[in-house]
Amino acid sequence: MAAPMGRTLLGVARGWRRLDSLWAGSPRSRHLSLEAAPSGSRSPWRLLGALCLQRPPLITKPLTPLQQEMADLLQKVETERSLYSDHELRALDEAKRLAKKKADLYDDDQDEQGITLAQDLEDAWEQAFLQFKPGARVTEADKKNDRTSLHRKLDRNLVLLVREKLGDQDFWMLPQVEWQPGETLRGTAERILTKLSENNMEAKFLGNAPCGHYKFKLPKAIRTESDIGVKVFFFKALLLTGDFSQTGKKARHVWVSKEELGDYLQPKYLAQVRRFLLDV
Amino acid sequence: MATAGMLCAARALRPRSWIPGICQTQTRHTHQRTSLLSFWELIPMRAEPLRKKKKVDPKKDQAAKDRLKRRIRKLEKATQELIPIEDFITPVRFLDKSRQRLQEEHSSEESEQRALLLKRWALYKKQEHEAERDTITALLEAQQEALQELKLESPELYAEAMKRDCSLFPFEKEGPHHTPPISNYQAPEGRYNDITKLPTPNYKSSNNDWERRLQSYSEGKVSGRFSDQSAAAFVS
Repeated sequence: MAAPMGRTLLGVARGWRRLDSLWAGSPRSRHLSLEAAPSGSRSPWRLLGALCLQRPPLITKPLTPLQQEMADLLQKVETERSLYSDHELRALDEAKRLAKKKADLYDDDQDEQGITLAQDLEDAWEQAFLQFKPGARVTEADKKNDRTSLHRKLDRNLVLLVREKLGDQDFWMLPQVEWQPGETLRGTAERILTKLSENNMEAKFLGNAPCGHYKFKLPKAIRTESDIGVKVFFFKALLLTGDFSQTGKKARHVWVSKEELGDYLQPKYLAQVRRFLLDV
Repeated sequence: MATAGMLCAARALRPRSWIPGICQTQTRHTHQRTSLLSFWELIPMRAEPLRKKKKVDPKKDQAAKDRLKRRIRKLEKATQELIPIEDFITPVRFLDKSRQRLQEEHSSEESEQRALLLKRWALYKKQEHEAERDTITALLEAQQEALQELKLESPELYAEAMKRDCSLFPFEKEGPHHTPPISNYQAPEGRYNDITKLPTPNYKSSNNDWERRLQSYSEGKVSGRFSDQSAAAFVS
């Protein structure tokens, strides 16, 4: 557990070094105002904003056996305590008349009852219902297990994961970006959204506060006084409309439910992420 | 001769001015007197004694109308006509005995099964509620830890994170349905007749409708219960 963690951290650290060289020119102050910061106030942790983008469920979950039993019982009790409706009264009358007709074996002035019986109406309704084909609850993407499409697991919350290169290795993680001074962390998360989706996706951010965090220290070889480690702050957002344009094997993203997170994320990262994801 | 007599009379009328130096023409200088009443008392204005003022007829009518208006206003305030809730009024056709279902007796096994199912359901709901509560506390804990870390990092970002998000509410979202929406679905065309009954009040009070109201009051139509007019309006 520790060895692969160490290796990944090394790889991450190398990646950070590269990123550091890219951002050498950026101002080092952490203040939101544009004044120059005093030299001693800069904290040794790097700040990152990350986006936990969730697609809320489109359909309800199937009922468990106990729930189904209870639903049936409640329906039965409701019919028992109800009064007869007009349709039912009509059906009862016609049943009586038919029985009388058979018993008496002669036609009185019973021909006024009309051609359409209640039974005929019910049959017609049944036919009309069978002709309507509702949308499928288990979609094609479910069957193919295509994890890059949004149309799978319609009764679950799906979270977006992206594959990023840190150092030499590829890691699956929630999309993250370094915080730039002058913006709030939520602004960082919004920037991630626009960058990823190229303005295709709309999301509703759930508040200004982060929902979770993950911090790790750089390995001792690379650690310095002014650069101990990295802190990532996650922000939750609900996807309203839009999708990635690229899906399939070439895509670097994946929509995943809570159980499948374990297939992608590193253990410690996973443990922190699971804390703020609901079981739905 | 006459002038001498006039002068004598004037001298006689003159009050004796004991104080030396005062002008002898003092009697006619009324602007030097302190009270004006004495001036008016000297000159009589009326020939007949004072009488009580008679009330003018238009004013009497106006006063009567005002009294009536006040009474009508009080009556209207007292009888606040509430819009009846149609769900709470049982339609008469549902009170028919032929509508009532035959109450079937359940066997003892069936009632026992029902009772056991209800017990299992209560246990299940309790477990569900506890799980939800635990999830919520875990979520809050994770958020609090993140906020503490942020506070250690930078107080300004922490302050920004603690601000209330005003754009969050009102938040509207359609809940999950039984089946997903069909792509390229063509809804069947048709027209519909809207038969919702809008409640009409007994009458609308307007400021300039006093004549009609006075008339209806005099005819005895203003009352505390629904009048026949309103009952007809709801039934139709």
